[in-house]
Amino acid sequence: MNQKRTNPIIVIVLTLFSLACLIPFWLVFMISVADENWVTAHGYSFWPGKFSLVAYQYLIEDAEKILRAYGVSALVTVIGVVVSLFVTSAMAYALSRKEFPLRGALSFYILITMLFSGGLLPWYLVYTRFLHVQDTLVALIIPGLIGGFNVIIMRTFFTNSIPPSLIDSSQIDGAGEFRTYFSIILPLSLPVMATIGLFTTVSYWNDWFTSLVFIQNEKLFSLQYLLTKTLMNASFLQTIANKAYSSTAQVTTPLESIRMAMAMIAIGPLVLVFPFLQKYFVRGLTVGAVKG
Amino acid sequence: MKWLKKSSAVLASLMLTSVVAAGCGGNKASNTPAGSAQPDGAASSALKPYEVMMVFPDAPQKDNQLVQDAMNDYLKKTYPELNMTVKLNPIDWGAWSDKTNLMLASGDKMDLLFTADWLGFQQQVTKGGLLPLDNLLARYGPDIEAVEKDYHEPAKRGGKLYGIHTHQELGGAQGVYLNKELVDKYNFDLTALKSGKVEDLEPMLKTIKENESGITPLVAPSFPLEAYYSSTNLDSITSIAAINTAGTAPDNYTVINSFTTPRYMELAKLTNKWYKAGYINKDALTPGLDAWKKMQAGKGFAFVSDMDILADMEIGKADISPNGSIKAGREMLQIPLNIDRLQTGKMTATMYAISKSSEDPERAMMLLNLFYKDKELLTLFNFGIEGKHYVLKDGQIALPEGQTTDSVGYYHDIMWQLGNQMLNYTRVGEDPNKYQNYEKFNEKISSNRSRIFGFVFDPEPVKNELISIDNANKTFVDGLKSGQLDPEEVVPKMLEKQKAAGADKVIAEAQKQLDAWLKENGKK
Repeated sequence: MNQKRTNPIIVIVLTLFSLACLIPFWLVFMISVADENWVTAHGYSFWPGKFSLVAYQYLIEDAEKILRAYGVSALVTVIGVVVSLFVTSAMAYALSRKEFPLRGALSFYILITMLFSGGLLPWYLVYTRFLHVQDTLVALIIPGLIGGFNVIIMRTFFTNSIPPSLIDSSQIDGAGEFRTYFSIILPLSLPVMATIGLFTTVSYWNDWFTSLVFIQNEKLFSLQYLLTKTLMNASFLQTIANKAYSSTAQVTTPLESIRMAMAMIAIGPLVLVFPFLQKYFVRGLTVGAVKG
Repeated sequence: MKWLKKSSAVLASLMLTSVVAAGCGGNKASNTPAGSAQPDGAASSALKPYEVMMVFPDAPQKDNQLVQDAMNDYLKKTYPELNMTVKLNPIDWGAWSDKTNLMLASGDKMDLLFTADWLGFQQQVTKGGLLPLDNLLARYGPDIEAVEKDYHEPAKRGGKLYGIHTHQELGGAQGVYLNKELVDKYNFDLTALKSGKVEDLEPMLKTIKENESGITPLVAPSFPLEAYYSSTNLDSITSIAAINTAGTAPDNYTVINSFTTPRYMELAKLTNKWYKAGYINKDALTPGLDAWKKMQAGKGFAFVSDMDILADMEIGKADISPNGSIKAGREMLQIPLNIDRLQTGKMTATMYAISKSSEDPERAMMLLNLFYKDKELLTLFNFGIEGKHYVLKDGQIALPEGQTTDSVGYYHDIMWQLGNQMLNYTRVGEDPNKYQNYEKFNEKISSNRSRIFGFVFDPEPVKNELISIDNANKTFVDGLKSGQLDPEEVVPKMLEKQKAAGADKVIAEAQKQLDAWLKENGKK
């Protein structure tokens, strides 16, 4: 009885919530397939009166640039996530071990990085004058490798869900530190790896600012930067034209539907990543439940 | 931790060196022109090869390198004695502020830099990113001086010149664009607008509203309050401080709050009335709304904006707008309701400066000077290589057969940024007399100077107040200019907020600086 009463409410709430997530996507998708003139005349609509695939055709003509940006983003994300998971977990694992002498100092250092950042200019100077990585993919990968927050989440996970006696026993059985780490700790930590992996995937995939600062070479632009750039240029040119600093400044606003089509393309992989990682979240919950 | 210490030491020393380097650059620049007394000929024969880097806002062009090579070939052939090459470094509009700030702050090498008051010219000067140009200009900029001599004052800060104004139209005209088809259909009498008052548009808007469903009589996003009020009625100093020029004596220099004039109230009420009557589109404030697109789609009748510049423009005189008709894809009439006076702000809206990190500011100035005299070089920069990026049709620039603006490899519309515009070709479709028109129009404008032409306000003492005033304005200004708010009710509220944010202090400061300037220039 009880279940029957509460179920519809939950269903309604969750349905509404899902709709709130899906409707914007629907709108963006509909504009991307709408006829440009129709949008100009009637505004955005959930069901445009006239359809056209011009936007996608245009993007196909521009495919080379977009595919390359896609490749850059994908490569940076894959390499970034793998390396980032490795260094983050290695650091977190070290910090989770009571035997590690620098534990306090390093934790404090990590805390500091979470509270204060060096600022844009020092960052820029280190990368361009000291490391000389400007205009390379490395410049896109390094900044996301370690996040203080992620390290602390992982450390907490290691401390809470991996009993120290497990490490002791494996070392009694003859495993060295690396063996312990790779064969015992990592397989037991899939839930937290999936979580942090998702975090870093999202942040790598969505990062455009690093491209803006360090990349001059058009071939190395990431997809998100390409998109941001188009939008920012459009709004900037519009401001200029509105204020009419010069009568010769002509506006070339990218067509509404093309912007939306680009947005549709850009979200693709992220939508795919989540379902694949989901099973780890579920398992993580059950693992915790059984132990709890 | 060790690594951290080490890297921070390296960083610190790096920053030190760059500061020192920047300092040296500055000294060299200000000393050399005055100190070296040798004749120009001797100096130039000893010139070492130098690459002048030009940084300007533009979308990257596919054939940038080709054009750069062509420019370098041309420079080598025509001006071997200058022994310089040029490097074009366009930066996307969207990334412009972030990138140039970083480049200036970190001392990255660059020579010529596009700048403007709306792109942070003031901060660039305050932070010491730019070189003073007076000596360089006197020595290496004769062709700049020939056309811009009278207009350097506005770009001076602390008595030194920091930017060179692009030679172009000296102002604009504001008025209304009308869809000619509809004007003809209803046989509108346009002589009413001879008054120069936007109010006289009302009967036409009414007719359109009543007879043409689906057509917006007055299309946003530009409104009388925004596009037309300040230029007709004010000599602006900051976002709120201004001198009311409508109906005041020519030697009136009283600084007031620009939102308190009777004319502001009148226009705000008018806009509000039009909005309520349904003459203005309701989505007027939606970002990205483009009036030209509405006209293109045939959904609009009129809008207020800046006019195409024609030679014989007069207030209230209706002409076919050449560029407007292209943009709207149909015949558009333009009726100027106001013609600008020569204003300080316009002179700092498009400039080139020389960066402090320039290793050879003299050469940078020599190159800049070439853009004021050499049509061929300017054409290379603006339109690319003949036959590849453009062809000449009856003396106008056209795209080569079968090319579009997207496919051609070098197509940018930034002619207004650099050099002497009057040397430029026009594009096919543009009025071939565009630049002659500019010259005639400039005569008109320069003979009608703003009362405070040349006065530059230093916002530093009231910086915080200006920021909070801008914040206070944000709540109201958009609603007022689009007519969505009732001014009788809202304007007093806004004035109160402005007062609380320090409006009086800003106005007093503006008056103080203005009085000092007037005294200095013997006007008072």
